[in-house]
Amino acid sequence: MVKSERKPLEEIRASIKGYRRILNMGCGGCSSVCLAGGQREVKALNFELNAFFRAAGIDSHVDEITIERQCNQQYFDDLYEMVPDYDCLLSMACGAGVQLVAETFPDIPVFPALNTVSIGIDREVGVFEERCRACGQCVLTYTGGICPVTCCAKSLFNGPCGGTNQGMCEIGPDTPCAWKSIYERLKRQNRLDDILKMQPPMAWRNQVVRVTVQAPYAKGHRK
Amino acid sequence: MPDRVATEVTVSAESTAVDPARIKQMLNRHKAKIKISLRACVHCSLCAESCFLYTSHQQAPRYMPAYKFIHSTGLLYKKKGKVDRACLEKIRDIVWQDCVLCTRCYCVCGIDIPGLISLARGICRSQGVYPDFGVSGDG
Amino acid sequence: MDSTLRMLYHLAQGPLVWAAFILFWVGSVYQVARLLSLTRKMETRRRGRAPDEGPLSAARSTDGQPGRWSARLRLSIAGTHSLTIGVSVIFHTLLFMVPLFLLAHNILVDEAWGVSLFAFREKLSDYLTWLFLACVLFFLLRRILLARLRAISSFQDYYILFLAAAPFASGLLAYHQIFDYRTMITLHMLLGEIMLVSIPFTKIAHLFLFFVLRFLVNHEYSLGSGRRAWR
Repeated sequence: MVKSERKPLEEIRASIKGYRRILNMGCGGCSSVCLAGGQREVKALNFELNAFFRAAGIDSHVDEITIERQCNQQYFDDLYEMVPDYDCLLSMACGAGVQLVAETFPDIPVFPALNTVSIGIDREVGVFEERCRACGQCVLTYTGGICPVTCCAKSLFNGPCGGTNQGMCEIGPDTPCAWKSIYERLKRQNRLDDILKMQPPMAWRNQVVRVTVQAPYAKGHRK
Repeated sequence: MPDRVATEVTVSAESTAVDPARIKQMLNRHKAKIKISLRACVHCSLCAESCFLYTSHQQAPRYMPAYKFIHSTGLLYKKKGKVDRACLEKIRDIVWQDCVLCTRCYCVCGIDIPGLISLARGICRSQGVYPDFGVSGDG
Repeated sequence: MDSTLRMLYHLAQGPLVWAAFILFWVGSVYQVARLLSLTRKMETRRRGRAPDEGPLSAARSTDGQPGRWSARLRLSIAGTHSLTIGVSVIFHTLLFMVPLFLLAHNILVDEAWGVSLFAFREKLSDYLTWLFLACVLFFLLRRILLARLRAISSFQDYYILFLAAAPFASGLLAYHQIFDYRTMITLHMLLGEIMLVSIPFTKIAHLFLFFVLRFLVNHEYSLGSGRRAWR
Protein backbone atom coordinates (compact mmCIF):
# COMPACT_ATOMS: atom_id res chain seq x y z
CA MET A 1 0.00 0.00 0.00
CA VAL A 2 0.92 3.66 0.06
CA LYS A 3 3.55 4.43 2.68
CA SER A 4 3.94 7.80 4.35
CA GLU A 5 5.69 9.32 7.30
CA ARG A 6 4.93 12.28 9.50
CA LYS A 7 6.42 15.64 8.68
CA PRO A 8 8.69 17.20 11.28
CA LEU A 9 6.68 18.92 13.99
CA GLU A 10 8.16 22.33 13.20
CA GLU A 11 6.92 22.15 9.62
CA ILE A 12 3.41 21.20 10.74
CA ARG A 13 3.38 23.96 13.32
CA ALA A 14 4.52 26.52 10.75
CA SER A 15 1.76 25.49 8.34
CA ILE A 16 -1.07 25.91 10.85
CA LYS A 17 0.36 29.02 12.47
CA GLY A 18 -2.23 31.76 12.95
CA TYR A 19 -5.27 29.50 12.63
CA ARG A 20 -7.43 29.14 15.71
CA ARG A 21 -9.78 26.26 15.14
CA ILE A 22 -7.94 23.40 13.50
CA LEU A 23 -9.28 19.96 12.55
CA ASN A 24 -6.78 17.13 12.22
CA MET A 25 -8.16 14.38 10.01
CA GLY A 26 -6.84 10.83 10.18
CA CYS A 27 -7.29 8.29 7.42
CA GLY A 28 -8.27 4.66 8.08
CA GLY A 29 -6.75 3.49 4.81
CA CYS A 30 -3.10 3.19 3.87
CA SER A 31 -1.76 5.83 6.22
CA SER A 32 -3.34 4.01 9.14
CA VAL A 33 -1.87 0.70 7.98
CA CYS A 34 1.62 2.23 7.72
CA LEU A 35 1.29 3.64 11.24
CA ALA A 36 1.61 7.24 10.04
CA GLY A 37 -1.88 8.74 10.03
CA GLY A 38 -4.44 6.57 11.79
CA GLN A 39 -6.49 7.53 14.80
CA ARG A 40 -3.60 6.79 17.13
CA GLU A 41 -1.21 9.12 15.32
CA VAL A 42 -3.88 11.81 15.13
CA LYS A 43 -4.27 11.65 18.90
CA ALA A 44 -0.50 11.75 19.39
CA LEU A 45 0.01 14.71 17.07
CA ASN A 46 -2.92 16.63 18.60
CA PHE A 47 -1.61 15.95 22.06
CA GLU A 48 1.69 17.46 21.05
CA LEU A 49 0.24 20.45 19.19
CA ASN A 50 -2.28 21.32 21.91
CA ALA A 51 0.41 21.04 24.56
CA PHE A 52 2.51 23.44 22.52
CA PHE A 53 -0.37 25.92 22.12
CA ARG A 54 -1.03 25.85 25.85
CA ALA A 55 2.61 26.28 26.76
CA ALA A 56 3.06 29.14 24.29
CA GLY A 57 -0.17 30.83 25.34
CA ILE A 58 -1.57 30.58 21.82
CA ASP A 59 -5.35 30.60 21.52
CA SER A 60 -5.54 27.70 19.06
CA HIS A 61 -6.89 24.21 19.40
CA VAL A 62 -6.70 21.06 17.28
CA ASP A 63 -9.65 18.65 17.22
CA GLU A 64 -9.65 15.19 15.72
CA ILE A 65 -11.63 12.97 13.40
CA THR A 66 -10.60 9.80 11.60
CA ILE A 67 -12.55 8.64 8.57
CA GLU A 68 -12.43 5.43 6.55
CA ARG A 69 -10.59 6.93 3.61
CA GLN A 70 -9.79 10.42 2.47
CA CYS A 71 -9.45 9.39 -1.18
CA ASN A 72 -13.19 8.73 -1.57
CA GLN A 73 -15.90 11.33 -0.98
CA GLN A 74 -18.30 8.55 -0.08
CA TYR A 75 -16.71 8.55 3.36
CA PHE A 76 -16.84 12.31 3.87
CA ASP A 77 -20.16 12.50 5.77
CA ASP A 78 -18.44 13.44 9.01
CA LEU A 79 -16.32 16.03 7.25
CA TYR A 80 -19.30 17.79 5.62
CA GLU A 81 -20.74 18.13 9.08
CA MET A 82 -17.63 19.23 10.94
CA VAL A 83 -15.40 21.12 8.54
CA PRO A 84 -17.42 24.38 8.35
CA ASP A 85 -16.61 24.98 12.03
CA TYR A 86 -12.87 25.12 11.39
CA ASP A 87 -10.37 27.69 10.15
CA CYS A 88 -8.01 25.18 8.63
CA LEU A 89 -7.62 21.45 8.16
CA LEU A 90 -4.68 19.17 8.80
CA SER A 91 -4.72 15.92 6.89
CA MET A 92 -2.89 12.76 7.88
CA ALA A 93 -3.73 11.04 4.61
CA CYS A 94 -1.48 10.51 1.59
CA GLY A 95 -1.13 13.20 -1.05
CA ALA A 96 -4.20 11.94 -2.85
CA GLY A 97 -6.35 12.18 0.26
CA VAL A 98 -5.13 15.68 1.05
CA GLN A 99 -6.04 16.82 -2.45
CA LEU A 100 -9.52 15.34 -2.45
CA VAL A 101 -10.24 17.02 0.87
CA ALA A 102 -8.84 20.29 -0.47
CA GLU A 103 -10.97 19.97 -3.61
CA THR A 104 -14.07 19.20 -1.56
CA PHE A 105 -13.60 22.23 0.69
CA PRO A 106 -12.05 24.86 -1.61
CA ASP A 107 -12.65 27.72 0.86
CA ILE A 108 -10.70 26.19 3.71
CA PRO A 109 -6.92 25.67 3.70
CA VAL A 110 -5.85 22.04 3.95
CA PHE A 111 -2.32 21.20 5.09
CA PRO A 112 -0.62 17.84 4.87
CA ALA A 113 0.85 16.43 8.07
CA LEU A 114 2.51 13.55 6.24
CA ASN A 115 5.02 13.11 3.48
CA THR A 116 3.81 10.45 1.10
CA VAL A 117 6.84 8.30 0.47
CA SER A 118 6.17 5.26 -1.64
CA ILE A 119 4.11 2.29 -2.63
CA GLY A 120 5.72 -0.39 -0.60
CA ILE A 121 5.61 -3.57 1.37
CA ASP A 122 5.42 -4.22 5.11
CA ARG A 123 8.67 -5.81 6.17
CA GLU A 124 7.83 -5.86 9.85
CA VAL A 125 6.03 -3.63 12.32
CA GLY A 126 6.81 -0.07 11.30
CA VAL A 127 9.34 -1.02 8.63
CA PHE A 128 8.37 -0.56 5.01
CA GLU A 129 10.26 -0.85 1.76
CA GLU A 130 9.44 0.80 -1.54
CA ARG A 131 8.59 -1.60 -4.33
CA CYS A 132 6.57 0.34 -6.91
CA ARG A 133 6.72 3.81 -8.40
CA ALA A 134 3.40 3.64 -10.20
CA CYS A 135 5.08 4.23 -13.57
CA GLY A 136 2.01 2.91 -15.35
CA GLN A 137 3.86 0.40 -17.53
CA CYS A 138 4.61 -2.69 -15.49
CA VAL A 139 7.50 -4.83 -16.76
CA LEU A 140 7.63 -7.30 -13.87
CA THR A 141 6.65 -10.05 -16.32
CA TYR A 142 10.08 -9.87 -17.91
CA THR A 143 12.15 -8.93 -14.89
CA GLY A 144 11.52 -11.89 -12.61
CA GLY A 145 9.25 -9.92 -10.31
CA ILE A 146 11.89 -7.31 -9.48
CA CYS A 147 11.05 -3.75 -10.46
CA PRO A 148 13.89 -2.03 -12.30
CA VAL A 149 12.15 1.34 -12.11
CA THR A 150 12.14 1.20 -8.31
CA CYS A 151 15.24 -0.84 -7.56
CA CYS A 152 17.67 0.39 -10.25
CA ALA A 153 19.18 3.78 -9.49
CA LYS A 154 18.71 4.79 -13.11
CA SER A 155 15.29 3.14 -13.41
CA LEU A 156 16.55 1.36 -16.52
CA PHE A 157 14.02 -0.69 -18.46
CA ASN A 158 16.80 -2.53 -20.26
CA GLY A 159 19.79 -3.14 -18.10
CA PRO A 160 22.20 -3.43 -16.58
CA CYS A 161 24.27 -0.35 -17.34
CA GLY A 162 28.04 -0.23 -17.29
CA GLY A 163 28.05 0.85 -13.67
CA THR A 164 27.29 -2.58 -12.28
CA ASN A 165 30.22 -3.72 -10.20
CA GLN A 166 30.52 -7.16 -8.60
CA GLY A 167 26.74 -7.26 -8.25
CA MET A 168 26.62 -3.82 -6.67
CA CYS A 169 25.52 -0.46 -8.05
CA GLU A 170 27.93 2.29 -8.91
CA ILE A 171 26.14 4.70 -6.59
CA GLY A 172 27.46 2.83 -3.56
CA PRO A 173 28.77 -0.49 -2.36
CA ASP A 174 25.67 -1.04 -0.19
CA THR A 175 23.21 -0.82 -3.06
CA PRO A 176 22.70 -4.05 -4.95
CA CYS A 177 22.42 -3.85 -8.72
CA ALA A 178 18.77 -4.49 -9.52
CA TRP A 179 19.66 -5.98 -12.87
CA LYS A 180 22.04 -8.43 -11.26
CA SER A 181 19.16 -9.57 -9.05
CA ILE A 182 16.88 -9.76 -12.09
CA TYR A 183 19.46 -11.89 -13.89
CA GLU A 184 19.81 -14.25 -10.92
CA ARG A 185 16.05 -14.61 -10.50
CA LEU A 186 15.43 -15.29 -14.20
CA LYS A 187 18.30 -17.77 -14.32
CA ARG A 188 16.89 -19.62 -11.35
CA GLN A 189 13.56 -19.90 -13.16
CA ASN A 190 15.13 -20.82 -16.49
CA ARG A 191 13.70 -17.70 -18.09
CA LEU A 192 16.90 -15.93 -19.08
CA ASP A 193 15.56 -15.24 -22.54
CA ASP A 194 13.20 -12.73 -20.94
CA ILE A 195 16.10 -10.43 -20.14
CA LEU A 196 16.84 -10.17 -23.82
CA LYS A 197 13.37 -8.91 -24.65
CA MET A 198 13.83 -5.22 -25.29
CA GLN A 199 11.30 -3.05 -23.53
CA PRO A 200 10.27 0.08 -25.42
CA PRO A 201 11.07 3.33 -23.63
CA MET A 202 8.62 4.45 -21.02
CA ALA A 203 5.90 6.73 -22.33
CA TRP A 204 6.21 8.77 -19.12
CA ARG A 205 2.53 9.19 -18.92
CA ASN A 206 2.95 10.42 -15.43
CA GLN A 207 3.67 13.82 -16.93
CA VAL A 208 -0.10 14.27 -16.93
CA VAL A 209 -2.68 13.34 -14.34
CA ARG A 210 -3.41 9.69 -14.95
CA VAL A 211 -6.99 8.55 -14.70
CA THR A 212 -7.66 4.89 -14.04
CA VAL A 213 -10.93 3.41 -15.25
CA GLN A 214 -11.39 -0.31 -14.60
CA ALA A 215 -12.96 -1.95 -17.64
CA PRO A 216 -16.14 -3.27 -15.95
CA TYR A 217 -16.82 0.21 -14.69
CA ALA A 218 -16.05 2.07 -17.91
CA LYS A 219 -19.67 2.23 -18.92
CA GLY A 220 -20.99 5.61 -17.98
CA HIS A 221 -17.59 7.10 -17.32
CA ARG A 222 -17.20 10.33 -19.21
CA LYS A 223 -13.78 11.70 -19.86
CA MET B 1 -21.70 9.60 11.38
CA PRO B 2 -24.71 7.83 9.86
CA ASP B 3 -24.43 4.11 9.32
CA ARG B 4 -22.30 3.24 6.36
CA VAL B 5 -24.16 3.33 3.07
CA ALA B 6 -26.29 0.22 2.77
CA THR B 7 -25.95 -0.04 -1.00
CA GLU B 8 -22.26 -0.62 -0.63
CA VAL B 9 -22.74 -4.19 0.53
CA THR B 10 -25.38 -6.13 -1.32
CA VAL B 11 -26.09 -9.80 -1.39
CA SER B 12 -23.82 -11.67 -3.74
CA ALA B 13 -25.72 -12.78 -6.79
CA GLU B 14 -25.12 -16.51 -6.84
CA SER B 15 -26.65 -18.57 -4.05
CA THR B 16 -24.48 -21.66 -3.90
CA ALA B 17 -24.68 -23.98 -0.92
CA VAL B 18 -22.36 -23.40 2.02
CA ASP B 19 -19.59 -25.99 2.40
CA PRO B 20 -19.03 -26.51 6.16
CA ALA B 21 -16.23 -29.01 5.54
CA ARG B 22 -14.23 -26.40 3.64
CA ILE B 23 -14.85 -23.82 6.36
CA LYS B 24 -13.75 -26.29 8.99
CA GLN B 25 -10.63 -27.05 7.02
CA MET B 26 -9.78 -23.35 6.84
CA LEU B 27 -10.44 -22.94 10.56
CA ASN B 28 -8.32 -25.97 11.39
CA ARG B 29 -5.35 -24.45 9.64
CA HIS B 30 -5.40 -21.74 12.29
CA LYS B 31 -7.07 -23.72 15.04
CA ALA B 32 -4.54 -23.17 17.78
CA LYS B 33 -4.29 -19.45 17.10
CA ILE B 34 -8.07 -19.02 17.18
CA LYS B 35 -8.37 -21.09 20.32
CA ILE B 36 -5.65 -19.20 22.15
CA SER B 37 -7.02 -15.85 21.03
CA LEU B 38 -10.51 -16.71 22.23
CA ARG B 39 -9.08 -17.86 25.52
CA ALA B 40 -6.80 -14.87 25.98
CA CYS B 41 -9.68 -12.44 25.40
CA VAL B 42 -11.02 -11.56 28.82
CA HIS B 43 -13.83 -9.48 27.32
CA CYS B 44 -12.53 -6.32 28.98
CA SER B 45 -13.69 -3.99 26.15
CA LEU B 46 -10.53 -1.89 26.41
CA CYS B 47 -9.93 -2.37 22.70
CA ALA B 48 -12.99 -0.26 21.87
CA GLU B 49 -11.43 3.18 21.59
CA SER B 50 -8.59 2.00 19.39
CA CYS B 51 -11.16 1.52 16.60
CA PHE B 52 -11.86 4.81 14.92
CA LEU B 53 -15.15 3.45 13.60
CA TYR B 54 -16.22 2.86 17.19
CA THR B 55 -15.37 6.41 18.21
CA SER B 56 -17.09 7.94 15.18
CA HIS B 57 -20.27 5.83 15.48
CA GLN B 58 -21.45 7.04 18.90
CA GLN B 59 -19.52 4.21 20.52
CA ALA B 60 -21.82 1.50 19.23
CA PRO B 61 -20.59 -1.79 20.75
CA ARG B 62 -20.75 -3.60 17.42
CA TYR B 63 -17.67 -1.68 16.27
CA MET B 64 -15.55 -2.95 19.15
CA PRO B 65 -12.64 -5.01 17.78
CA ALA B 66 -13.36 -7.78 20.30
CA TYR B 67 -17.04 -7.86 19.30
CA LYS B 68 -16.05 -8.14 15.66
CA PHE B 69 -13.66 -11.04 16.02
CA ILE B 70 -15.81 -12.92 18.54
CA HIS B 71 -18.84 -12.68 16.28
CA SER B 72 -16.99 -13.60 13.11
CA THR B 73 -14.07 -16.00 13.44
CA GLY B 74 -15.07 -16.83 17.02
CA LEU B 75 -18.59 -17.76 15.95
CA LEU B 76 -17.40 -19.85 13.00
CA TYR B 77 -15.02 -21.66 15.31
CA LYS B 78 -17.64 -22.35 17.96
CA LYS B 79 -20.04 -23.70 15.35
CA LYS B 80 -17.20 -25.74 13.82
CA GLY B 81 -18.01 -24.26 10.44
CA LYS B 82 -21.58 -25.51 10.46
CA VAL B 83 -23.27 -22.26 9.50
CA ASP B 84 -25.84 -21.29 6.91
CA ARG B 85 -25.68 -18.60 4.31
CA ALA B 86 -27.61 -16.10 6.39
CA CYS B 87 -25.05 -16.47 9.15
CA LEU B 88 -22.18 -15.95 6.73
CA GLU B 89 -23.90 -12.85 5.42
CA LYS B 90 -24.13 -11.48 8.94
CA ILE B 91 -20.43 -12.18 9.36
CA ARG B 92 -19.75 -10.48 6.03
CA ASP B 93 -21.41 -7.32 7.27
CA ILE B 94 -19.27 -7.40 10.40
CA VAL B 95 -15.94 -8.00 8.71
CA TRP B 96 -16.42 -5.70 5.72
CA GLN B 97 -19.01 -3.13 6.69
CA ASP B 98 -17.99 -2.61 10.31
CA CYS B 99 -14.26 -3.09 9.80
CA VAL B 100 -11.91 -1.52 7.28
CA LEU B 101 -8.98 -3.68 8.37
CA CYS B 102 -6.84 -0.68 9.23
CA THR B 103 -5.02 -3.20 11.45
CA ARG B 104 -4.71 -0.85 14.40
CA CYS B 105 -6.75 -2.63 17.10
CA TYR B 106 -5.21 -2.39 20.54
CA CYS B 107 -5.54 -5.44 22.74
CA VAL B 108 -4.40 -5.54 26.35
CA CYS B 109 -3.51 -9.21 25.94
CA GLY B 110 -1.91 -8.73 22.53
CA ILE B 111 -4.42 -10.73 20.49
CA ASP B 112 -3.93 -10.41 16.73
CA ILE B 113 -7.48 -9.18 16.08
CA PRO B 114 -6.89 -8.00 12.46
CA GLY B 115 -5.47 -11.42 11.65
CA LEU B 116 -8.62 -13.12 12.93
CA ILE B 117 -10.90 -10.73 11.05
CA SER B 118 -9.03 -11.27 7.79
CA LEU B 119 -9.39 -15.00 8.39
CA ALA B 120 -13.16 -14.55 8.58
CA ARG B 121 -13.01 -12.55 5.36
CA GLY B 122 -11.16 -15.40 3.69
CA ILE B 123 -13.73 -17.94 4.86
CA CYS B 124 -16.63 -15.79 3.62
CA ARG B 125 -14.89 -15.38 0.27
CA SER B 126 -14.37 -19.13 -0.04
CA GLN B 127 -18.15 -19.52 0.20
CA GLY B 128 -18.87 -16.82 -2.34
CA VAL B 129 -20.05 -14.38 0.30
CA TYR B 130 -18.45 -10.97 -0.08
CA PRO B 131 -19.44 -7.40 -0.74
CA ASP B 132 -19.71 -6.53 -4.39
CA PHE B 133 -19.56 -2.81 -3.78
CA GLY B 134 -22.78 -2.07 -5.60
CA VAL B 135 -21.67 -3.52 -8.91
CA SER B 136 -23.08 -6.89 -9.82
CA GLY B 137 -21.01 -9.94 -10.48
CA ASP B 138 -19.30 -10.72 -13.71
CA GLY B 139 -18.14 -7.32 -14.87
CA MET C 1 -21.91 -34.65 58.31
CA ASP C 2 -19.03 -33.92 60.57
CA SER C 3 -17.04 -36.85 59.21
CA THR C 4 -17.60 -35.74 55.60
CA LEU C 5 -16.30 -32.32 56.50
CA ARG C 6 -13.35 -33.85 58.28
CA MET C 7 -12.54 -35.97 55.26
CA LEU C 8 -12.87 -32.99 52.91
CA TYR C 9 -10.66 -30.94 55.22
CA HIS C 10 -7.93 -33.52 55.17
CA LEU C 11 -8.23 -34.00 51.43
CA ALA C 12 -8.13 -30.26 50.80
CA GLN C 13 -5.10 -29.65 52.99
CA GLY C 14 -3.20 -32.68 51.75
CA PRO C 15 -3.39 -34.51 48.44
CA LEU C 16 -5.57 -31.91 46.71
CA VAL C 17 -2.98 -29.20 47.29
CA TRP C 18 -0.40 -31.31 45.53
CA ALA C 19 -2.80 -32.28 42.75
CA ALA C 20 -3.70 -28.62 42.25
CA PHE C 21 -0.09 -27.47 42.11
CA ILE C 22 0.92 -30.24 39.72
CA LEU C 23 -2.03 -29.64 37.41
CA PHE C 24 -1.37 -25.91 37.51
CA TRP C 25 2.27 -26.26 36.54
CA VAL C 26 1.79 -28.98 33.94
CA GLY C 27 -1.11 -27.07 32.38
CA SER C 28 0.75 -23.78 32.38
CA VAL C 29 3.91 -25.19 30.83
CA TYR C 30 1.80 -26.95 28.18
CA GLN C 31 -0.10 -23.77 27.31
CA VAL C 32 3.02 -21.63 27.05
CA ALA C 33 4.83 -24.26 25.00
CA ARG C 34 1.88 -24.55 22.64
CA LEU C 35 1.74 -20.80 22.21
CA LEU C 36 5.45 -20.62 21.52
CA SER C 37 5.10 -23.38 18.94
CA LEU C 38 2.55 -21.19 17.15
CA THR C 39 5.06 -18.43 16.70
CA ARG C 40 8.48 -18.40 15.17
CA LYS C 41 11.55 -16.34 15.74
CA MET C 42 11.84 -13.54 13.22
CA GLU C 43 15.09 -13.15 11.39
CA THR C 44 16.76 -9.88 12.14
CA ARG C 45 17.09 -7.79 9.03
CA ARG C 46 19.05 -4.74 8.25
CA ARG C 47 16.50 -1.97 8.34
CA GLY C 48 16.07 0.46 5.50
CA ARG C 49 15.98 3.42 7.82
CA ALA C 50 16.54 4.28 11.41
CA PRO C 51 13.65 2.99 13.50
CA ASP C 52 13.62 6.02 15.79
CA GLU C 53 10.41 7.47 14.33
CA GLY C 54 7.98 5.09 15.98
CA PRO C 55 4.21 5.25 15.96
CA LEU C 56 4.14 7.33 19.11
CA SER C 57 6.39 10.06 17.84
CA ALA C 58 4.67 12.52 20.18
CA ALA C 59 5.96 10.62 23.13
CA ARG C 60 9.42 10.57 21.64
CA SER C 61 9.55 14.25 20.78
CA THR C 62 12.34 16.36 22.19
CA ASP C 63 10.51 19.66 21.78
CA GLY C 64 10.56 20.43 25.46
CA GLN C 65 6.96 19.31 25.58
CA PRO C 66 5.46 17.14 28.34
CA GLY C 67 8.01 14.57 29.40
CA ARG C 68 8.37 11.41 27.41
CA TRP C 69 6.91 9.00 29.88
CA SER C 70 3.98 11.14 30.91
CA ALA C 71 3.05 11.76 27.27
CA ARG C 72 3.38 8.06 26.61
CA LEU C 73 1.16 7.28 29.56
CA ARG C 74 -1.47 9.85 28.59
CA LEU C 75 -1.63 8.50 25.05
CA SER C 76 -1.74 4.89 26.16
CA ILE C 77 -4.69 2.86 27.40
CA ALA C 78 -3.97 4.23 30.89
CA GLY C 79 -4.89 7.67 29.58
CA THR C 80 -8.04 6.47 27.82
CA HIS C 81 -9.33 4.37 30.71
CA SER C 82 -7.47 5.67 33.75
CA LEU C 83 -9.95 4.35 36.32
CA THR C 84 -10.28 0.84 34.88
CA ILE C 85 -6.54 0.51 34.39
CA GLY C 86 -5.90 1.82 37.91
CA VAL C 87 -8.36 -0.60 39.48
CA SER C 88 -7.02 -3.38 37.29
CA VAL C 89 -3.44 -2.79 38.41
CA ILE C 90 -4.50 -2.82 42.07
CA PHE C 91 -6.65 -5.91 41.53
CA HIS C 92 -3.91 -7.93 39.85
CA THR C 93 -1.23 -6.83 42.31
CA LEU C 94 -3.36 -7.81 45.29
CA LEU C 95 -4.33 -11.07 43.65
CA PHE C 96 -0.69 -12.12 43.95
CA MET C 97 0.47 -10.15 46.95
CA VAL C 98 -2.21 -10.90 49.52
CA PRO C 99 -2.02 -14.71 49.44
CA LEU C 100 1.76 -14.69 48.98
CA PHE C 101 2.46 -12.45 51.96
CA LEU C 102 -0.34 -13.64 54.21
CA LEU C 103 0.91 -14.54 57.67
CA ALA C 104 -1.23 -17.67 57.98
CA HIS C 105 -0.04 -19.00 54.59
CA ASN C 106 3.57 -18.35 55.50
CA ILE C 107 3.22 -20.11 58.81
CA LEU C 108 1.92 -23.17 56.95
CA VAL C 109 4.81 -23.04 54.51
CA ASP C 110 7.22 -22.56 57.38
CA GLU C 111 5.82 -25.55 59.23
CA ALA C 112 6.09 -27.70 56.11
CA TRP C 113 9.49 -26.68 54.76
CA GLY C 114 11.04 -24.47 57.36
CA VAL C 115 11.24 -21.54 54.98
CA SER C 116 8.85 -18.68 54.43
CA LEU C 117 8.43 -15.30 52.83
CA PHE C 118 8.08 -12.05 54.63
CA ALA C 119 4.49 -11.58 55.80
CA PHE C 120 2.20 -8.56 56.17
CA ARG C 121 0.66 -7.73 59.50
CA GLU C 122 -2.71 -9.46 59.75
CA LYS C 123 -4.59 -6.17 59.96
CA LEU C 124 -3.00 -5.00 56.72
CA SER C 125 -3.88 -8.24 54.92
CA ASP C 126 -7.41 -7.78 56.18
CA TYR C 127 -7.67 -4.27 54.70
CA LEU C 128 -6.07 -5.36 51.44
CA THR C 129 -8.57 -8.20 51.13
CA TRP C 130 -11.42 -5.74 51.48
CA LEU C 131 -9.79 -3.54 48.88
CA PHE C 132 -9.45 -6.54 46.59
CA LEU C 133 -13.12 -7.41 46.98
CA ALA C 134 -13.99 -3.80 46.20
CA CYS C 135 -12.06 -4.15 42.93
CA VAL C 136 -14.03 -7.33 42.19
CA LEU C 137 -17.23 -5.40 42.77
CA PHE C 138 -16.01 -2.71 40.37
CA PHE C 139 -15.40 -5.27 37.62
CA LEU C 140 -18.71 -6.96 38.30
CA LEU C 141 -20.67 -3.72 38.12
CA ARG C 142 -18.78 -2.67 35.03
CA ARG C 143 -19.69 -5.92 33.33
CA ILE C 144 -23.33 -5.65 34.31
CA LEU C 145 -23.84 -1.96 33.66
CA LEU C 146 -21.87 -1.10 30.52
CA ALA C 147 -23.49 -2.00 27.21
CA ARG C 148 -20.13 -2.49 25.53
CA LEU C 149 -19.22 -5.18 28.05
CA ARG C 150 -22.61 -6.82 27.94
CA ALA C 151 -22.22 -7.11 24.18
CA ILE C 152 -19.29 -9.50 24.56
CA SER C 153 -19.77 -11.01 28.02
CA SER C 154 -20.19 -14.72 28.48
CA PHE C 155 -20.75 -17.02 31.42
CA GLN C 156 -17.02 -17.64 31.75
CA ASP C 157 -16.35 -13.96 32.44
CA TYR C 158 -18.51 -14.10 35.56
CA TYR C 159 -17.11 -17.49 36.45
CA ILE C 160 -13.46 -16.39 36.45
CA LEU C 161 -14.34 -13.30 38.44
CA PHE C 162 -16.02 -15.62 40.93
CA LEU C 163 -12.98 -17.91 40.94
CA ALA C 164 -10.73 -14.97 41.77
CA ALA C 165 -13.02 -13.56 44.44
CA ALA C 166 -14.18 -16.74 46.18
CA PRO C 167 -10.90 -17.74 47.91
CA PHE C 168 -10.52 -14.18 49.15
CA ALA C 169 -14.09 -13.93 50.41
CA SER C 170 -14.02 -17.33 52.09
CA GLY C 171 -10.62 -16.60 53.60
CA LEU C 172 -11.95 -13.34 54.98
CA LEU C 173 -14.96 -15.06 56.51
CA ALA C 174 -12.75 -17.73 58.02
CA TYR C 175 -10.34 -15.17 59.45
CA HIS C 176 -13.17 -13.24 61.08
CA GLN C 177 -14.73 -16.52 62.22
CA ILE C 178 -18.03 -15.63 60.60
CA PHE C 179 -20.14 -18.75 60.06
CA ASP C 180 -18.60 -22.07 61.02
CA TYR C 181 -14.82 -21.71 60.89
CA ARG C 182 -14.15 -25.34 60.00
CA THR C 183 -16.56 -25.23 57.06
CA MET C 184 -15.23 -21.90 55.85
CA ILE C 185 -11.58 -22.87 55.95
CA THR C 186 -12.32 -26.12 54.12
CA LEU C 187 -14.29 -24.18 51.53
CA HIS C 188 -11.44 -21.68 51.31
CA MET C 189 -8.88 -24.39 50.58
CA LEU C 190 -11.10 -26.11 48.03
CA LEU C 191 -11.88 -22.86 46.23
CA GLY C 192 -8.22 -21.92 46.18
CA GLU C 193 -7.33 -25.28 44.68
CA ILE C 194 -10.08 -24.99 42.08
CA MET C 195 -8.77 -21.55 41.14
CA LEU C 196 -5.22 -22.80 40.81
CA VAL C 197 -6.22 -25.69 38.56
CA SER C 198 -8.45 -23.41 36.49
CA ILE C 199 -5.66 -20.98 35.62
CA PRO C 200 -4.28 -22.81 32.57
CA PHE C 201 -7.64 -24.08 31.34
CA THR C 202 -9.88 -21.02 31.53
CA LYS C 203 -9.64 -17.37 30.56
CA ILE C 204 -7.42 -16.90 33.61
CA ALA C 205 -4.76 -18.24 31.26
CA HIS C 206 -4.31 -14.59 30.26
CA LEU C 207 -1.95 -14.65 33.22
CA PHE C 208 0.75 -16.06 30.95
CA LEU C 209 -0.82 -15.47 27.53
CA PHE C 210 -0.48 -11.75 28.33
CA PHE C 211 3.26 -12.00 28.81
CA VAL C 212 3.87 -14.14 25.75
CA LEU C 213 1.67 -12.11 23.43
CA ARG C 214 2.68 -8.67 24.66
CA PHE C 215 6.37 -9.27 25.29
CA LEU C 216 7.50 -12.03 22.95
CA VAL C 217 5.37 -11.49 19.85
CA ASN C 218 6.29 -8.52 17.69
CA HIS C 219 3.42 -6.14 16.92
CA GLU C 220 2.47 -2.49 17.15
CA TYR C 221 1.74 -2.68 20.84
CA SER C 222 4.42 -5.11 21.95
CA LEU C 223 6.10 -4.27 25.19
CA GLY C 224 9.76 -5.08 25.33
CA SER C 225 11.54 -6.20 22.23
CA GLY C 226 9.79 -9.40 21.21
CA ARG C 227 11.14 -10.90 18.01
CA ARG C 228 8.56 -13.58 17.44
CA ALA C 229 5.87 -13.59 14.76
CA TRP C 230 2.81 -15.72 14.19
CA ARG C 231 3.55 -18.66 11.95
